[in-house]
Amino acid sequence: MDKMLYIAMSGAKQNMLALSVNANNLANAKTTGFKADLAQARAMQAFGEGMPTRVFAMTERSSQNFDSGALLTTGRDLDIAIDGEGWFAVQAKDGTEAYTREGHLQVTESGALETSSGDLVLGEDGPLSLPLPVSNIQIARDGTIMVQLEGAPVNAQEEIGRIKFVNPDVRTMMKGNDGLFHSKNGVAQDADINVRVNSGALESSNVNTVNEMTDMIALQRQFEMQLKLMKTAEEIDASSSALLRAF
Amino acid sequence: MNPALWISKTGLDAQTKDIAVISNNLANASTVGFKKSRAVFEDLLYQTINQPGGRSAQDTEMPSGLMLGAGTKVVATQKIHSQGDMLTTDNSLDLMIQGEGFFEIQMPDGTSAYSRNGQFTMDEEGNVVTPGAGYLLQPQITVPQDALNIIVSQDGEVSVRLQGQAENAVIGQINTVNFINPTGLQPVGQNLYIETAVSGAPQEGVPGLEGYGMLVQGALETSNVNTTEELVNLIESQRVYEMNSKVISAVDQMLSYINQQL
Repeated sequence: MDKMLYIAMSGAKQNMLALSVNANNLANAKTTGFKADLAQARAMQAFGEGMPTRVFAMTERSSQNFDSGALLTTGRDLDIAIDGEGWFAVQAKDGTEAYTREGHLQVTESGALETSSGDLVLGEDGPLSLPLPVSNIQIARDGTIMVQLEGAPVNAQEEIGRIKFVNPDVRTMMKGNDGLFHSKNGVAQDADINVRVNSGALESSNVNTVNEMTDMIALQRQFEMQLKLMKTAEEIDASSSALLRAF
Repeated sequence: MNPALWISKTGLDAQTKDIAVISNNLANASTVGFKKSRAVFEDLLYQTINQPGGRSAQDTEMPSGLMLGAGTKVVATQKIHSQGDMLTTDNSLDLMIQGEGFFEIQMPDGTSAYSRNGQFTMDEEGNVVTPGAGYLLQPQITVPQDALNIIVSQDGEVSVRLQGQAENAVIGQINTVNFINPTGLQPVGQNLYIETAVSGAPQEGVPGLEGYGMLVQGALETSNVNTTEELVNLIESQRVYEMNSKVISAVDQMLSYINQQL
């Protein structure tokens, strides 16, 4: 059988995978703090004995789009959005330090500060927890958390700690399977005191829906071209066997 | 089957839920004491197809792998307990909590529920009850039959002017209840909330003191729904819904093209 058929088949399969990345971005077009995945194709040689005559395509998710999403003002005290670049640190489910921009915070009944997915928010010295009961929580521009204990006068604000912000080179970060960002080398990043947050706002998903739709059309057409090649392979095969029958 | 179909299906599901939350907010835009909800989205787990750092040849590694996300989901609908606007009615049994706190309401089964709706009324025995179902306000307040008018002070003291008496007679005290995490309360309809494990235990206190909101007589708290915000959210959800259904139709066309061509 002609190798062309298999190469076209692998192309069609990779296009389908790239379309899944596309579909996931569109499904998360309203997820706060979501960073769009970028899919790209790479030429992958078939290694082995003899001449490397065939080069397959391989789809990979090389990185994410790290642009900031739009700011949604909510007015809620525990919603934070990072201004410009930077991340805040949370404790992932496996106990390691991870980073996110999804600033939808909440307080548990024991006073721990966590994100909406239940990951503890880290301060500069470990997870942050609030003394209960509090009547008022304020998060300052630099991430300092001030609380007013219940019954305390308005001017008696107590400082609880500071949210750990980091601002590493995004090339040292990768998105884990839990949707949080991790350091590529597994070492916790150093805190950066220059990151600023807005409280009372959330960062929307940075998925550019027009871009995704256009990519989707391009992938769909590319997929059809692969099938066309598969069809051509079949026709070539059919005509060569017809040629043999003619004699 | 193609994963993109299922990924887009989670997008459609999540947007449908979001639209349900938005329509409930809009339907309650003029419900006294109503607190708006919002849907919280999260991305689902990622599936590793190619591991980054895997071998691409004998001495080269792949710099980046292929991880496919599984879509999105609504993880929570969260009540936003911000203060609504003040609506002056001059009705003596209309109460509003300015600041934090809930009224405690006794349910027919003896348990307590909590409400921000201060549209109270009286039953045939003079007890102060909620307007719809007639549940008793706790602590119970009974207004004597010959009361001329009712005065509720900012700190919850209820007094009445009786016929032929110069002094007002104190008949009770309305205390309010605070929660550590009011977002954790479970809404049960009828403007009522019940306590859950995450809301924390109710802490009763005197209105106007130590972090408890004060009472305002003759006023009501309007719903905190911002209709413009809801309409903007509705537009966004509807368009995201359409885009996800577009992906499904694209995958469908691709699959049908395979069937026709091969």
